[in-house]
Amino acid sequence: MKEPSLGEFEELVLLMVAALHDEAYGVSILENLETKLDKRVNISAIHVALKRMEEKGFVQSRFGGITNDRGGRRKKFYIITAFGKKMLDQQYALRTSLYQEIPKISFN
Amino acid sequence: MKVQAPKYALKFLRWFCRKDYLEEIEGDLIELFELQSAESPAAAKRKFTWSVVRYFRPEFIKLFPSQNSKFIIMQQHNLKITYRTFLRYKSSFLINLFGLATGLTCAILIFLWVNDELSTDKFHEHDAQLYHVMLNHEEDGGIRTDTSSPGLLAEALEEEVPEIKMAVEDSDPLWFGENFSLSDGEKFHKASGKFAGDGYFEMYSFPMKYGQADHALKDKKSVVISESLATRLFGSSKDALNKSLEWKLLHFTSQATVTGVFKNLPTNSTQQFDFVLPFSLFKDILGDGLHWGNYNTYTSVLVTPGTNINQLNQKLADFIKNKNQGSNVSPMLVKFSDLYLYGQFENGQQAGGRIMYVRLFSVIGLFVLIIASINFMNLSTARASRRLKEIGVKKSLGAGRKTLIAQYLTEALVMAFLALIFAIAFTYALLPQFNQITGKVLTLTLSPTFIGGLIGIVIFTGLLAGSYPALYLSGFKPINILKGHFRGSATEAWTRKGLVVFQFVLSIVMVVSVLIVYKQINFALTKNIGYDRNGVILVPMEGKATENIESYLTRLGEVPGVEHVSASSHTFTQNGSFTTGVSWPGKTEGTIIKFEQSRAYYDIQQTLGFEMAEGRSFSNQYGDETSKIIFNEAAIEAMGLEDPIGKKVNLWGEEKEIIGVMKNFNYSSLHSKVEPMLFHFKTDFLPNILIKLNTKNPRNVLSNLREWYKINNPGYNFDYTFLDTAYEAQYKAEERVSLLARYFAGVAIVISCLGLFALAAFTAERRQKEIGVRKILGASHFTIVRLLSADFTKMVLLAIVIGLPVSYVMANFWLQNFAYHINLEWWYFAISGAAALVIAWLTVSFQTIKAAQTNPSASLKEE
Repeated sequence: MKEPSLGEFEELVLLMVAALHDEAYGVSILENLETKLDKRVNISAIHVALKRMEEKGFVQSRFGGITNDRGGRRKKFYIITAFGKKMLDQQYALRTSLYQEIPKISFN
Repeated sequence: MKVQAPKYALKFLRWFCRKDYLEEIEGDLIELFELQSAESPAAAKRKFTWSVVRYFRPEFIKLFPSQNSKFIIMQQHNLKITYRTFLRYKSSFLINLFGLATGLTCAILIFLWVNDELSTDKFHEHDAQLYHVMLNHEEDGGIRTDTSSPGLLAEALEEEVPEIKMAVEDSDPLWFGENFSLSDGEKFHKASGKFAGDGYFEMYSFPMKYGQADHALKDKKSVVISESLATRLFGSSKDALNKSLEWKLLHFTSQATVTGVFKNLPTNSTQQFDFVLPFSLFKDILGDGLHWGNYNTYTSVLVTPGTNINQLNQKLADFIKNKNQGSNVSPMLVKFSDLYLYGQFENGQQAGGRIMYVRLFSVIGLFVLIIASINFMNLSTARASRRLKEIGVKKSLGAGRKTLIAQYLTEALVMAFLALIFAIAFTYALLPQFNQITGKVLTLTLSPTFIGGLIGIVIFTGLLAGSYPALYLSGFKPINILKGHFRGSATEAWTRKGLVVFQFVLSIVMVVSVLIVYKQINFALTKNIGYDRNGVILVPMEGKATENIESYLTRLGEVPGVEHVSASSHTFTQNGSFTTGVSWPGKTEGTIIKFEQSRAYYDIQQTLGFEMAEGRSFSNQYGDETSKIIFNEAAIEAMGLEDPIGKKVNLWGEEKEIIGVMKNFNYSSLHSKVEPMLFHFKTDFLPNILIKLNTKNPRNVLSNLREWYKINNPGYNFDYTFLDTAYEAQYKAEERVSLLARYFAGVAIVISCLGLFALAAFTAERRQKEIGVRKILGASHFTIVRLLSADFTKMVLLAIVIGLPVSYVMANFWLQNFAYHINLEWWYFAISGAAALVIAWLTVSFQTIKAAQTNPSASLKEE
C-alpha cells in the first residue's frame, strides 16, 4: 500500500490538533488557525482535512457530551495518533535537515 | 431574540449530508454562526449558506437510497413495458417515430443552413472594426445607397480622419467577369481576379500559406494568388512563390511576380477570388476615370476600437461634397459582416435583405418541429387513454403516482431519442441533396455543443409530449377506471382538437406561401422583358479580339449560324454602371437623373432584339457613330424632351446627337423597375461580345464558334454564357428558397396528416360500439363515414378560416420586394384551402371506411 501522505494544509491542521490536545474540534481548530495564519479559512476545508486524516489514521475522534450550546449538537474532538505524531516528526526532521543544508548566503 | 441559522440552507445540508458527519458539521456551523451573528447577522447568514454549499462535495454526500429499493429493476420494467407498447401499437409507434424524426431532420437541416448564413463573413479577425464605405446618393425621388465609392476615397479617409485607422480600396471580381486571364508562359487560364490596396490582407483575415501578408501588394509588379490557382498554374502551391506570370485584362497586360499564396478562401466568405493585383494598377487602368465623381471602387476601413459609428457617419456626411463641388453623395460606414444579411437599403437606412430568408426558415423549422411535437403529444394522450386499465391495475397493486409518471416520461424520452438517432441518420443521407439545393457546403459535425443542443431539444420535446399523459392519467382513481366509469374529459378533447387546428393553420400558411413564391418566380422567368434574350450568348472580349475589334467582330459575324454580333460594356443581367453626367437642352440646374449607361457597338439592336420607338440604332452604314447616342423611353420622359431625334445632349463633356429612342426593356432584373438608360457608341473598351445565334440549331453554331475560336483566338477557351441562363441565375436565391420551402411545406403537411391519420384511427376505435349500434339500427356506410369525418372537417375548416388571412398578409408583405409582381388571386387561397380539406378527408377516410365496414357483431359481442 502506498505510504499515506500529508498535504500542506493537512499538516497545519494536524499540528493544530496536536497543539490543542484534547480541546481540538472544528471551530477551535478554525479559530486558532485563522489567528496564526492571519487569513480566512472556511470550516468545510477543516472538515475535509480532518476526515481525510482520520481515514489515513493520523487522528482519532470522539464525541463530547451534550450541552446547551450549538443547538444541542455534540462536539467532535480530535486527538493525534502515534502514527500521526510520527508523520509530523518525519516531516519536521526532513525540513530541518534540508534547512540546515542551506549555505550561509548573505542577502545584504 | 436569537438569530436563527438560514432554514433552507440547513434543510439542504440535512438532506444531502452523511448521517455520521451531520451532527459534527451542523454543530460547528451553528457555533460559528452564533459567534458571527453577534457582529453582523446578515453576513453570518451569507457565510453559513456559503459554507453549506461548500460541503456539497462527494466526501460529505450520503449514498442516496432510492425510495423503491428496486430502482434498477423498475427502470428495466419500464423499458420492457415501453418496448411492448411499441410492439402492441405498431402503427402509432411508427407514425410517432417517423413524424418526430422528420421534424427533427428538418430542424437540423435548417439549423445548419441558418448557422452558415449567420456566420458568413464573421470570421475576420478585425470583424468588430471592419466597415464598408457605402455611398448615399441623393437623387430625385429619394436616397439610393450603393456599395461603390470613388477610387480616391480610401487614401483621403486614412489621411484625414483620425478615427479611421486604416482604409483599403479594392475592386469586385464580378466587374471583370471572364475577362481576366493569367498565363504561366504557355497557356492562358481564366481566373477571377481583383485589384486591392496594399493593406488588403491585413484588413481581411485571409491567411497566407506562403509569403507575408504585410505589403504583399506594395510593388506594382506583384500578384497574390490562391493555393488552388497556384496548383493550376504551376502544378504545386509550394514553389509558386517568386515565380512570374503574365496577366491580361482586355487589352491591358503585364508581367508580375507572385509575392504570396493565400489559403483557399472559406466558403462562408462573400469575397471569392483567385488572385489579387495591386490597386495602383487599377488606378492606371482607370486613368482620368479616377476622380471624385466616379464610383468604381469598394472602400473598406478599420476604425479605431471604441469609435461611435453614428457620430463618425455624421462627421463624414460632407466628406465627398467638400472634395467635389456639386456632389450628391454622402459616405456611410456599414459593418462589413452585416452587408451579407442586411444588404438592402431604403432611404439611406439599412432595411433587411437576406435576413428575411434566414428568419423565414427559422420560423419554418420551428413550425415543423412544433407540428411534429404536437403529433407526438396528441398520439401519446390518445394512446395513453387506451391504457387506462393498465394504470388501474398498477395503482391497485400499489404503484405510486411518481412511478407512473416516471414510466410515461421514460416512454416519451425513449421515443424522442430513437427519433433523434433516425433524424441524424436522415440528415447525413440528405445533406448532399440539401447542399445542392442551397448551393452551400454544409457538413454535420457532431460537436459537443451541437449534440448538447440536440439532446436538449429532444429532452424538451420528450418531456413536453410525455408530461400531459403522465400527469393527467396518473391522477385517476383506480376504482373509477376499473369500474369503467371513465370518460375522456372535455378539456382533453378540446386540447387535442385545438392542437390539430393549429397544425393545419401552420400547414395552410406554408402551402399558400409556397404557391405564391412559385408563381412569382415563374412570372419573373417568363415575363416579356422587352428584348429577346433567347439564343444570345455573351463572350468575353479577350486575346486577339482586343487587338482589332472591328475586323474581329466582322469575321465573327461570318461564322455560319451567327446572325448578329455586337459588343457592349453592359452584361444585361446585372445592373451595370450608371452616370448622372448627362446634360440636355432645357435641363434645369440641380436636376439629377441616374442613367444606366453602356458603351455599345454596331448592331446592338438586332443582336438584343429590342424595339425602337423612334429613329434608328447604331449601324455601320452610317460610318463612325462615336458622336451618336440612343436613349430609352424612360430616359426621354425623365429628361422631358419632346421630339428628341436630332437633339444634341452632352455626355461627360462630349456632344452627342440622339439618333433613336428604344422602347423600354428590362435590362437587368425584375427586382428593379426600368430606369432611364442610354447607349453611346464606342469602338474600344467593350468587355462583352454579344452574339445572336440561329436558334434552330444552336449546338451546331456553338461548335462552329469553338472551332473558329481555336484558329482566331489561340490560347483562349471559348467560354460563353447564355443571357437567358444568366438572367435565370439572378433568381437563384428565390428559386432556392422556393424549392426548399416547397419541400418543407410538403413535410409539414405529411406530418400533420400523419397526426390526423392516427387520431382518426383512435376516434374510430373509441366509437366502435357506437358505430356497431348505429349499424344494427340501420345506418348506412355513408352515414357512418360522414359522422366520423364531420369532426375532422370542422377542425380543418376552422384552420382554413384562421390560416388564409394570415397567409394573405404574409404573401402581400413578401411580394412588396418585387418591382413587378403577380397579383394575389382569390383562387390561390381557394386551392390551398381546398387542398388541405381534401388531403384531410383522404387521410381520415381510410380509417372511417374501415370503421364503417366492421361487422357490428365483432365490436358488440364483448363485455
